[in-house]
Amino acid sequence: MKKISFHDQIARNKRNSFFLVIIVFIVLIVLGYAISFAFSPDYFFFIMILATIISLVYVMITFYNSDKIALASVKAKKADPVLHRELYHAVENMSLASGMPMPKIYIMPGAQINAFATGRNPEHGVICVTEGALNILNKQELEAVVGHEMAHIANYDIRFVTTVAIVVGAVSIFSQLFLRSLWFRGNRRSQGNALFFVIAIVLAILAPIIVKLVQLAISRKREFMADAGSVQFTRYPPGMINALKKIKADHEKLKVPTAVAPMFLSDTTKRKVAVLFQTHPPIDKRIKVLERM
Amino acid sequence: MLWWIIILIVVVIFILIMVFSYYNRFTVLQNRINNSFAQIDVQLRKRSDLVPNLVQAVKGYMGHEQKIMKEVTEARKALLKVIPSKDMKSKMKAGDALQGALKSLFAIAENYPNLKANENFLQLQKEISAIEDKVAYARQFYNDSVLGYNNLCKTIPGKWFAAMFNKKAGKYLEIPAASRAVPKISF
Repeated sequence: MKKISFHDQIARNKRNSFFLVIIVFIVLIVLGYAISFAFSPDYFFFIMILATIISLVYVMITFYNSDKIALASVKAKKADPVLHRELYHAVENMSLASGMPMPKIYIMPGAQINAFATGRNPEHGVICVTEGALNILNKQELEAVVGHEMAHIANYDIRFVTTVAIVVGAVSIFSQLFLRSLWFRGNRRSQGNALFFVIAIVLAILAPIIVKLVQLAISRKREFMADAGSVQFTRYPPGMINALKKIKADHEKLKVPTAVAPMFLSDTTKRKVAVLFQTHPPIDKRIKVLERM
Repeated sequence: MLWWIIILIVVVIFILIMVFSYYNRFTVLQNRINNSFAQIDVQLRKRSDLVPNLVQAVKGYMGHEQKIMKEVTEARKALLKVIPSKDMKSKMKAGDALQGALKSLFAIAENYPNLKANENFLQLQKEISAIEDKVAYARQFYNDSVLGYNNLCKTIPGKWFAAMFNKKAGKYLEIPAASRAVPKISF
């Protein structure tokens, strides 16, 4: 099998993520265009501004408190520098290897292996691991998992994911507003173009689904990227591979709110769903990519 | 005529932006190298700070092992002397010398069961081996920073700008193979 360097892997994923964002924006523009033709343009413009302001305020509030919300929702507690010496060493090592500032360290209850990173930028970075991860993973594996989260921080994934969430949210708000406004239109239909009207309805229904799928695809790309980043920091692919194998063997899934699920190291959902609808790539595929590094 | 002037202005602005952004990128990457250099110093200092505590802890048990005790103390002194200098090579050498001396001390300590049961000693042993990892990671990041800088210096168009600003490719640190191996700690 052809060897791939982690630098290439990071570059490729960055490119792919970029294209995915472009697709989301194109969907948004096409949708807005179709709706504005269906309605009178100035009325649409007013809705758009209002929806944007509301979603922006909402997003800013959650963005600046995202770390607190995420940590509180999983009942995480600050790690103790003496009691959790190994974890502190792992995080400090990865912060040295990545050149990132030392993040705050939290531990969340739960026997399963998992971890997540949060914070709006590297200076406010937070890494949270489960008690299970501390108990089950050895030194190299714990370092690899922390390296994975450090890569999320270094790649500005939290900001990226939030930005995508804004666009996805905006698309569904527009679609909803448009579909609901149809109820009040009555016989003023002659204003707009009938053909565009039909197209707009179809798009308004499809667009939120499309952008949701794109959002999930981006989330999966970022996971591959963080895996590659972890290898860059540890220079030891077996660490991440073995950690993933242990996670795979660890059947019991973690119960976390769905809103924070994409932030985790591995999938937290219990159901067996198609890859297209998952926040994370299948573990076997992640292992396969890592084995080629 | 007017079109030509507009195109000329756009081209000039474009070139200026290129020059500025490349100059800034060189500066950022150079600062990163300097910062990672400082990070290595921090770890080396931390390591030498632990030595007096370690000597204190083992004195009661293996005070008569004069040779190794002296070796460790001397290596620490030599390291402290070179830390403020800019000469990375001698710094690394002194750091490795201290690490080597500490390793032999821990090997000798294996013969003292009472010492191995000492909580304080075990703590220090763990910390020192953790610092060894950190030195290795800090060196690795130093090399990664140099790599980023050199990539900019040696690819087109960065190559031309490097010549323009008189920037030269940086040197990598040699990482001794042994320093990446995690020392086995047996209890």
